Amino acid sequence: MFRKSLAFAAAALLLSTGAWSQEKPKVAFIPQLIGIPYFNAMEAGGKKAAQAFGVDFIYQGPVDTNPVDQLQILNNLVDQGVQAIAISVLDASSLEPVIASAKKKGVIIFTSDSDAPKSGRAVYVAQARDDQLGFTIIDELVKRVGDNAKIGIVSGEATATNLNTWIKFMQQRVKEKYPKVTLLEPKFAGGTAQRAAQLATELMTANPDLKGIIAVASTTCPGVAQAIETAGKINKVVGAGYCSPNTARAYLKSGAMGFTVLWDPAELGYLTVWAGKQLIDKKPFSAENNVPGIDHPISYDSATGVLLLGPPAVFTAQNVDKFNF
Amino acid sequence: MKDGAFGRLRASLSGAASIASGSSREASLVVACLVATTVFTLASPWFLTIENLATVAQASVDLLIVSLGMTIVLAVGGIDLTVGVTMAIASFFVGKALMIAVPAPLAAFLGPLVGLFLGAVTALTIVVGSVPPIVATLGLYGVFRATMYALLGGEWLSGLPNVFAPLVRPTVLGIPVVAFELAGLYALAWGVFRWTPLGVWWLAIGGNDEASQLAGVPVRRAKAIAYLASGLLAGISGAFYVAQYRNVEMTTGSTIALDAIVAAVLGGASVTGGRVSVLGTALGVILFRILQNGFVLIGVPSLWEQVVAGMLLLGVLAMENAARLRALAIGR
Amino acid sequence: MSAPTTRLLGLLALWLILLVVAAIALPDFFRASTVTSVLQFSTILALVTLGQSLVVLSGGGGIDLSVGGVVSICGLAMAAALQTGWGAAAGLAIAILLGAALGLVNGVLVTRLRIVPLIATLGSGYVYAGLAIALTGGAPIGGVGSWLTGLGRGLIGLVPVHFAFLVLPAYALAVAALRFTPAGPWIYALGGNETAARLTGIPTGRVRTLLYGASGLFAGMAAIVATAWFGSARPNIGQNLELESLTAALLGGVAITGGSGGVAPPLAAVLFLISLKTGIQLANLNTIWQVGTIGLLLVVSVLADRFIPGGRRR
Repeated sequence: MFRKSLAFAAAALLLSTGAWSQEKPKVAFIPQLIGIPYFNAMEAGGKKAAQAFGVDFIYQGPVDTNPVDQLQILNNLVDQGVQAIAISVLDASSLEPVIASAKKKGVIIFTSDSDAPKSGRAVYVAQARDDQLGFTIIDELVKRVGDNAKIGIVSGEATATNLNTWIKFMQQRVKEKYPKVTLLEPKFAGGTAQRAAQLATELMTANPDLKGIIAVASTTCPGVAQAIETAGKINKVVGAGYCSPNTARAYLKSGAMGFTVLWDPAELGYLTVWAGKQLIDKKPFSAENNVPGIDHPISYDSATGVLLLGPPAVFTAQNVDKFNF
Repeated sequence: MKDGAFGRLRASLSGAASIASGSSREASLVVACLVATTVFTLASPWFLTIENLATVAQASVDLLIVSLGMTIVLAVGGIDLTVGVTMAIASFFVGKALMIAVPAPLAAFLGPLVGLFLGAVTALTIVVGSVPPIVATLGLYGVFRATMYALLGGEWLSGLPNVFAPLVRPTVLGIPVVAFELAGLYALAWGVFRWTPLGVWWLAIGGNDEASQLAGVPVRRAKAIAYLASGLLAGISGAFYVAQYRNVEMTTGSTIALDAIVAAVLGGASVTGGRVSVLGTALGVILFRILQNGFVLIGVPSLWEQVVAGMLLLGVLAMENAARLRALAIGR
Repeated sequence: MSAPTTRLLGLLALWLILLVVAAIALPDFFRASTVTSVLQFSTILALVTLGQSLVVLSGGGGIDLSVGGVVSICGLAMAAALQTGWGAAAGLAIAILLGAALGLVNGVLVTRLRIVPLIATLGSGYVYAGLAIALTGGAPIGGVGSWLTGLGRGLIGLVPVHFAFLVLPAYALAVAALRFTPAGPWIYALGGNETAARLTGIPTGRVRTLLYGASGLFAGMAAIVATAWFGSARPNIGQNLELESLTAALLGGVAITGGSGGVAPPLAAVLFLISLKTGIQLANLNTIWQVGTIGLLLVVSVLADRFIPGGRRR
């Protein structure tokens, strides 16, 4: 009797010390900048996943798209010993200074939302394939404006690598599949709705036969759509872009925007944290992964190291109310 | 200050620090606008249309209002780097009010009210705290930015109700009503500088702070009013922003402070104070927007805008100064 | 007590507060890697701040808003040169010489064409930063070679190579130059009373032009560090540097009107600012707090000067 209770006490003691030294693993995500709804949604998804999978979630980002600031945050997180850090890179070289020392410390760095393919990152959690994002928006737009239309592009910052990649694929799609479509050179609006609206209006003025405008950065969406409305060109010019349902809702309903292409950033954030946990636990990704909490299987391409959330989703006036992000 | 003293002060100022001394600059700007217009009209059939000119007018609204405030602050020899974020915070309150169904006139009124409040913070720091304007507004810019983030919480206000449309959308013979509204605002400011003691005081202070003090000008009060005016105008610009773009984001107004300085200086304002041109500021803004607009129409990549803005500013000032220095050298 | 010493003491006090708060709330802060991290991220700002301090010290509304653009464009020039096969020495030389040249342009605008420094450097900054983006279309220039990144990321113990070999010598030289050469008294005289300085025979125009050239040169050095560190040149790498360096200079006690302050305290200010940023990040507070706190500190530091006895009175 006495020995049993002793054994029990010893076991309890061991377990409790085990519990004491057992801290939850930490997964972090560094967005390109804080203060826009897109990354806020990713943060919300990340928090949800952290609760579901028993990790601590850290979300920190620079106040504007400054790669040095982003690097400082990454550096500090590595120093802190955060086990897995995901980052939406501002440009591919952003990881270079830290990745070697991170590996030495056993910190896993991976990318999400925007990639640095040759940097040695553990995996890229992609919202959709970059080429599919470019192709889908062109395909959907051509469906609405015809295949010999003129289309304009309003992007955000000229230095944003992921936006430029999508534009490149748009141009490729037009060249290969819709040779009669004229895709104008992109205009860069920076970060404000005012500038995006101004550029969109001027594009419509300079090209009276313009049939569509693509708003590439999420910050350009409201400006472009409002410009189409203000110019009274609803139904004459179709707005489109990578815009969230909440931002685009009013304009989808008014007709200024025909559709938007996006993915669920909250799901992306959720998947990112799950991937971080997998990496910490050293569980390899299979070609098809079932992630608890996501209703469809997630595919993984081992050749490129890309974990894919899924195909891009198209939002229209009909389905926009089903979503809240 | 007695009337006699006021009159004497005003008379002595009109030679040295009058607002008309920029008249040759104003003329140059008019010429520049005409030249640009001609070039663009020849290069693009779409430039000289009512719709396009209306676009230029609409795109100029925020910069016109904020630049007017900057002109006033420059007149007293100061500077205000907070105007962009003041505009953003004001537009936040206007937008939020609209979202909770506050009646439109009341919501619009919130803009200038918030602007006035923030302008008061700036005025206090500079006038009571004796912090140099550039330092004060640089520091407050950071504080206000953090405040804006705390207010927005990282979200945007999107798809705001279109209730302000009657204020900004209608056109009279193709000219947007905003053009008239802003013309009125500028006329008011011009009147203040020309005919009121306040305007004389502002220019006097900018010209010579100590001398004005000795002459009995209520320097602290006048300076404070200048910064209050700047904040007020930034707030008004915030209300217009909501009216025109129906979206409030963290980056609202982010580039406008420096652009306003460029416009005011291009228009003839002296950074050291004492000399401004209200008309010049307006012309500076319009020239700026005409160039932006024209470039898109003729297909110049938008990335070159900043270079053009810088060269324009330097070019105008360099040429003028070179001519003046040569004249001085010859005249000796 | 001289003004720079007072300011240094004030910064020291701020430092102590930061350390105490960190000790209570943030044990993570006290690690060797934090020191390295702070020094690593301070280099670029420290170099640019040195130039800014010198320019502001010389008075006459001296300020350099073009430094960000200079850093960006020098970085691009250097990376482009290295990519097309020019040697290491040539690449480094290009960054420094181009920076100095662009700075001298500012000097000419200010001294010969009599354009107020705020406007002159605002305009030139627009041109430089704009060219950086326009000429590259926003795309970075990479492929600088591993020898350079080795330099950029190398450490001597805890201290990054570029901090040890660029920042410390630059500051030491500047302090020495101000103390032991005529440059010092000239710059302070210029900042104190320009007319008097000129009447005393100081070549005010030349001094000022050279100071702007120096600011450009330091910006060029900062560009080297940035490119070496990242392994590529980004067209907007210089973003925000002008306002940050101005903040550091002002926090470091340099009077905005010139003539008062030292060049060493701004280095302490830079280190403090970066430590503060690091602390806020380690504490997992929202990074916007950095912006707000630093802004508040700037205002408070000047107010303190006014209202604390013994501080500088204007």
